[in-house]
Amino acid sequence: MWIIVLGFVVGILLGVLSPFTLPIAYSRYLSIAVLAALDTAFGGLRASMEGTYDNTIFISGFFMNALLAAGLVYLGDRIGVESLYMAGVVAMGIRLFQNLGIIRRLLLRRWGLLNGPEAAHPHPEEPAQAEKE
Amino acid sequence: MERVRRMPWATALVGVALGLMLSMQFKVQRQVALADLATVQRMEKLVAQLAEAEAHRDELAAEVEALRQQQLLSVKTQNEYQALAERLEQAQIHAGLLPLMGPGVTVVMADSSLPVTAGENPNNFIIHDEDVLRVVNELQAAGAEAISINGQRVTGRTEIRCTGPVVTINGVRTAPPLNIVAIGNPDELERAITMKGGIAESLRFWGIQITVKKESLVRVPAYTARLRLDYAQPALEEVTP
Repeated sequence: MWIIVLGFVVGILLGVLSPFTLPIAYSRYLSIAVLAALDTAFGGLRASMEGTYDNTIFISGFFMNALLAAGLVYLGDRIGVESLYMAGVVAMGIRLFQNLGIIRRLLLRRWGLLNGPEAAHPHPEEPAQAEKE
Repeated sequence: MERVRRMPWATALVGVALGLMLSMQFKVQRQVALADLATVQRMEKLVAQLAEAEAHRDELAAEVEALRQQQLLSVKTQNEYQALAERLEQAQIHAGLLPLMGPGVTVVMADSSLPVTAGENPNNFIIHDEDVLRVVNELQAAGAEAISINGQRVTGRTEIRCTGPVVTINGVRTAPPLNIVAIGNPDELERAITMKGGIAESLRFWGIQITVKKESLVRVPAYTARLRLDYAQPALEEVTP
């Protein structure tokens, strides 16, 4: 867990200190990739709290999701469906909020602030699969 | 968590990638914001410069007018320069530097009053520089001795040119309705514009409003734009005394 935080700090330092800046033309693809990466990161956090975490799925999901999100937006731009970007933002945004909501519930339950029956999946209709995608 | 220990470097790489991507995106977005700001600042600066230049131009035009009056006065008051003053006056009349008056016509041109229906080019219903040029050309051909458009004297150096939604004449922007004043034989000038198949008829086809009125006395102002010549100079050996 801490190794990720350490890597995160190193990554931020690398990005801030490097003289290289991505051309603005590619910022669209990077932004959607960042969103996908954030989504996977929170999905992984949620999975680890639920006890279903798997490192291989998390790492492959992180990079694949980011690349696929950027790749799909690129494809959309090529075939004249620029709004595919919006579709990606909406889909990823909904999942982000869902994951955050589940994490909040799990934390509340862990701290004993939430009463009621034990529920490993606060949203049973949406099984924990964020890190699998 | 046990599995993390099996691939610590791959897991760290996830953190590095996330941090790198986030900070890179922050940097790019900051650049975008700065670029927008720079454009707005540049625009504001240019607008201020334009206003300043225009105020300066008006100031100088007033100064030129005052100096011309002064020059005319001082030349005229001296008897020995009387002949010279007369020649100067003739030259100034021909150069358009003196306001003139006499019989003539006023031509008023305004944009079309017809509603533009779908499928028609709205450009056909507004006055263009070439319409003004054709009217001026007809007046010249009919013997007009002095012409002004919305207070701008037409001389040999006058341009009549579309600049966006307005017409620039002598470097001054003016907009329809255009009031064209010409001194000359009123009957001939009027016929030149209103003759069958002439300019008025073809413009009226598009609904452009053009009216010609014969006048017993019209006034044409003097040319007030810049007079300096940067390139041309007198070829004195060719002047016949």
